[in-house]
Amino acid sequence: MTRTAFALQTTPQVNEPELIARVLAGDRLAGRELYNAHAPRVFRLAYRLTGDAELAREFTQDTFVRAFQRLADFRGDAAFSTWIHRITITVVANAMRKVRRLRERETDLADLDALHPVHSGTRRLDPDLRDRLAKAIDALPEIYRITLIMHDMEGYTHTEIADVLGVAEGTCKSRLSAARAQLRAALADFAKEYES
Amino acid sequence: MTDSHDRFDELLHDALRSYNHPPGDREMPLEDMWRSIEGQAFPARRASRYAQWLRIAAALVIGVGIGRLSLARGAQTRAAAPATTPVTVAQRPSVPAEQPAPQLDPTTSRYLGQAAALLIALPAEASGGRPDQPFMKRANELLLTTRLLLDSQSGNDPAMRNLLEDLELVLVQVVRLQKEREPSRRTELELIQQALDQRDVIPRLRSAASEYAAD
Repeated sequence: MTRTAFALQTTPQVNEPELIARVLAGDRLAGRELYNAHAPRVFRLAYRLTGDAELAREFTQDTFVRAFQRLADFRGDAAFSTWIHRITITVVANAMRKVRRLRERETDLADLDALHPVHSGTRRLDPDLRDRLAKAIDALPEIYRITLIMHDMEGYTHTEIADVLGVAEGTCKSRLSAARAQLRAALADFAKEYES
Repeated sequence: MTDSHDRFDELLHDALRSYNHPPGDREMPLEDMWRSIEGQAFPARRASRYAQWLRIAAALVIGVGIGRLSLARGAQTRAAAPATTPVTVAQRPSVPAEQPAPQLDPTTSRYLGQAAALLIALPAEASGGRPDQPFMKRANELLLTTRLLLDSQSGNDPAMRNLLEDLELVLVQVVRLQKEREPSRRTELELIQQALDQRDVIPRLRSAASEYAAD
């Protein structure tokens, strides 16, 4: 699969160590500069992971509040962008567990049926595929889903994802491969239509 | 890989890109998010040295005032009350007996009522544009008092502290209105209203005011 060009290395050219030192000294304008440099990508990722504008907004805010409050703990071993993306993933994953529990209670049987193939034979339309795919992605194990979203949708490299998630690159690749395989399996009836 | 497999992969890829597709950078609520982040991550750092000195000075003035009031009331009580009257002023554990907390309650109650009144009046005041000078002056005074109370014994009560912190954030936004221009002033007003609604600030202020008044 091809990839869109959004990755950590696209961070605007700012002198981050200096900005971080200024933020630690209480300079909120420096805080704003750091925010400007990273907020759009953090928001994009939060939006992809949640699919909800309000949640993405809340989690982006939470990410930056935590980052600024814990900035003294940032030792510069990794890039600031890696560090803040780690916080984003933690914030979103923790909060989404609660959100999902609430949503699961609201999910009715019709929604559950939609996760499984229906053999009506007339589902070549893109909206149907999109809808089925979205449900299949939602049903992926969270760590597969995060890897798939970061790599195939937001264009992070395996090295970047591995840094953010704290795993080996090989693990990252195998997770992505497994995620894609699960999607293909979930949409097997669509694939058959293309083969026929 | 077969052609049909490739075609399906392409289709899958297109569908993947549409999954939870985020808005473009221009549509992101970056300003609104920053305001919230700034309020939570930088409130303590925003106070200038001047403001800190002002707080200390104002705290001293209020302290002296309370002390004088206590002495005057103490003298009246000693003159009027029988010797067997129990001393009830030391209900709050952290307050020394020489400076009974109830002396501050009418002031606190009045301040909470004034803050509620100001916030209730805000939409009407701001409907024609920027609120007028006396209104902004009042907001500034209330903000100063809020910060003083946060630094005082009133700030030791968790519920009161929570209310005062919410109030401080809202008042900071109100005070900032005088520097904002349209249309950001309108946005700021909406954010204030949201903050008031989400945190139930006005009902909590009224409730706290009546509790303090009833003490």
